[in-house]
Amino acid sequence: MNIIDLLRNNAEKYPAKIGFIDEENEITFQKMLKSVEKFSSSELLKNKNQTIGLILENSIEGIMAYLGIINSGKIVHIIPPNITEKNFINQIKSSKPSVIICSEKNQTNFSNFNHKDVPIYTNEEIISKSTIQEKIPDINKIAYLIYTSGTTSEPKGVPISHEMIEFTTKNIVKILGYSKNDIDLTPLPLYHSFGLGCLHTSIYVGSTFVLLKNTNNLENILNSLKKFNATTLAAVPATLTKLLRFENQYLKEKFSNIRLVITNSTSIPKNTVNDLKTILENRKLATYYGLTEASRSTFMIFNENSKLDESVGKPAPGVKIKIKKIDKKLEIGEIFVQGKNVIKNYWDNSIADKNLEDGWLQTSDIGYFDNDENLFLVGRNDDVINIGGEKVIPSEIEEIIKQIPEIEDVVAFGIDNKFFGKTIKVNIIKKKNSNLEKIKILSYCLKNLEKFKIPSKIEFVDKIPKNEYGKVKRSILK
Amino acid sequence: MQDEKIKNDVKGIFFEVFPKLSENEFAWGKEQKDYENWDSFAQLNIITFAESKFDVSFSLDESIEIKSANDLLECINSHLK
Repeated sequence: MNIIDLLRNNAEKYPAKIGFIDEENEITFQKMLKSVEKFSSSELLKNKNQTIGLILENSIEGIMAYLGIINSGKIVHIIPPNITEKNFINQIKSSKPSVIICSEKNQTNFSNFNHKDVPIYTNEEIISKSTIQEKIPDINKIAYLIYTSGTTSEPKGVPISHEMIEFTTKNIVKILGYSKNDIDLTPLPLYHSFGLGCLHTSIYVGSTFVLLKNTNNLENILNSLKKFNATTLAAVPATLTKLLRFENQYLKEKFSNIRLVITNSTSIPKNTVNDLKTILENRKLATYYGLTEASRSTFMIFNENSKLDESVGKPAPGVKIKIKKIDKKLEIGEIFVQGKNVIKNYWDNSIADKNLEDGWLQTSDIGYFDNDENLFLVGRNDDVINIGGEKVIPSEIEEIIKQIPEIEDVVAFGIDNKFFGKTIKVNIIKKKNSNLEKIKILSYCLKNLEKFKIPSKIEFVDKIPKNEYGKVKRSILK
Repeated sequence: MQDEKIKNDVKGIFFEVFPKLSENEFAWGKEQKDYENWDSFAQLNIITFAESKFDVSFSLDESIEIKSANDLLECINSHLK
């Protein structure tokens, strides 16, 4: 069953129910279906090309356009509104959309970009050309195309099929217990697979999807929990960590209706897990591990067992995970995923397709299983530092150095060395007023790490570069 | 007095990098080949500790030439003078 069938089901079963809210507007399932059908019948979408570009904003119009393109039998190429011109050109060169659709505001912004003669229309322009459809087009097997930024190569197009969406969404619903009674608050950008997955889940069960336009306004997130009587909250770890700066009792009151908080696996700090467990008491806090290419591969519901607070859980039903050791001496290795949640190939990219073999996706993530098959992530394969043949995972160094009380934050990475190929450098943020000396850090490392893991350079810095999800931008470190 | 402090600090580096080294086993002229665990990584650790302790930076050639506590002491002194 595809996402449009699910919307149609909801429109039949709960026609007057509010299905979508975007702070300013709300719309019932029935009205959304009618809008989607009108949108998809537009003359401007009828052409030979398979793909339509969509500069996807967090709004009801954005959702309508997304579903409308799918309903027209085309593949949605999802374009983030904050994309750089260089990436934009690369992406449309690869996806070859016949048209690009966006809001009025973005039509002005993007008109300055070189869009290779691909016309850019607003939602309103598309709808104004709607026609009476004699034949409803077949839905394409691929629902959407989303580009991931490789660290070294050109962006890779990831085509997501309806089959993958259905498989993943069923797992989400089964494991996290979503139902039609839920009200799902989503301060996440729709142009990422986490946000889109939440939209699919709400449509799958017929719950109400509440989309926040500003995903970083903490007070608005907290007020929205109460305003919309939200029962679930999906947010990235960085947002949850920032929310925890508010007073405990205030948070408990704001979260009183919430039955589930779901986050993703990007470096969720142990303290955030602990503090959230206190706020939620016996209600669910969950995370998952996944990539755009292999969405929701594991699930973790945190419980009293704090030893598992840093795990991303067990493989999802129907998903297989294997660890291929990167070094005979290390128990850890690169994570490979196989299942119906995994793409069959990248979009017209034979180089990237080498990451897929016999249905197994090579993730470049490094991790290990404990004895109960709980998966733990420790870093990226690209981050592994090869010091004269000895392989070192930066997170191991970082964890040891973080044990020194006077240290606020640390990042370890490889630097060139004529003898060893690479050695380790650490950039450290000291706590305020600390007089910590480099030699003390080295002594601590020497007592707690093998000698090839001792950093050869230490630099005290004011800032460690991180992206919006709290991931360290290692590629720019020197 | 200053020289004595530098000497003590250099000696301290050797006891840090070779934690099993006893006072009796330490000698200023004792060479790399006579240390049980002085491999290339230990060499790197000695250099790193010395650079951090004395806020100096050794060239590649200097790093290679350090084969005893005496060599390290001389190298540090040449940078500090």
